[in-house]
Amino acid sequence: MSGAQAIVRGLEEAGVTLVASVPDTWIGKLMATVRGSATIRALDVAREEEAVAVACGANLAGGRGAVLIQNAGLLNCGGILAGLVELYRLPCFFIVSLRGDHRDPVYYHAPKGRVTEATLQAWRLPHAMADSRGDLAAQVTRGVQFAVESRGPFVLLISGEDLA
Amino acid sequence: MSPRKPFLDALVALLTPHDVLVSCLGANARWLPHMEVSAPVFALCDSMGAAIPLGLGIALTRPDRHVVALEGDGSLLMSPNVLATVAAAGAPNLTTILWVNGHYESSGGQALPGAPVDWPALARASGIPHVATVGEPAGLAAGLAAARRASGPAVLVLPIAFDPAESIPPYSERPEEIRARFRL
Repeated sequence: MSGAQAIVRGLEEAGVTLVASVPDTWIGKLMATVRGSATIRALDVAREEEAVAVACGANLAGGRGAVLIQNAGLLNCGGILAGLVELYRLPCFFIVSLRGDHRDPVYYHAPKGRVTEATLQAWRLPHAMADSRGDLAAQVTRGVQFAVESRGPFVLLISGEDLA
Repeated sequence: MSPRKPFLDALVALLTPHDVLVSCLGANARWLPHMEVSAPVFALCDSMGAAIPLGLGIALTRPDRHVVALEGDGSLLMSPNVLATVAAAGAPNLTTILWVNGHYESSGGQALPGAPVDWPALARASGIPHVATVGEPAGLAAGLAAARRASGPAVLVLPIAFDPAESIPPYSERPEEIRARFRL
């Protein structure tokens, strides 16, 4: 089983019904696997803030939404995280590709990589780094469960290596 | 051009318990707690641009309910990309009602950037299959009925008069109250 398949299995086991996404190279690969799920609806959106609101809407309606975006997109989401997710205390689980860290071969992502974790901490976003040496599906289900139980956000950062 | 409140009165009278109402921040969200609304209401007090995608998430999850999302022209001007998302998702149970008065009403009545945006044309160009302008509150019954019958998502554009003297009540519900009361 590939890492991408393990992540999607984790989403399925966590009861996720709808995944809203803006792709990058890594998230696009993951979404290709999501599209093969029999229980998750994959929704392409035009902008990351939309993905957050769509996921929150799914949660409000009795489903379980998740957001798959790049870290650049997460950096776009400060307003909606504060004004929707935090203000209304809505569960919102994110899988975010951590572009620009030491594992990323693409040089122009580096500025995003330098600020991502510091931004997560400044925004007080609970988060974890995926570890493909461990059980990725379990890491996903734990993240979803944390979001549901805390009625707030949780961000699981992934690298391209985690999808292999 | 009609003021807002008669449009909102007409809309609320048309809603049923099987509908779901999502409101953007601003005057509509502030009026709704003071009105008898038969549909569940989720009203925003922040997050410009969130009402339509929030409504989309609800609509996709509950295809048995018709979701009406209220959005302002200032909010949509900030995030018009959502029209393409809605068109692509194709949910026939989502109707967006766009309130157009050319002003950021809740932040003090500042004017929007002065471009003469053709909202119905923008919605059509984004792929929304059912788009109509409703010029008067009396036309909302027919407009909403047609939107409900549409085979895809609908956008109704309501040109309303900007009235800086409108006596809009303050926000009277806390976000946690709104969320707790929202049950489908």
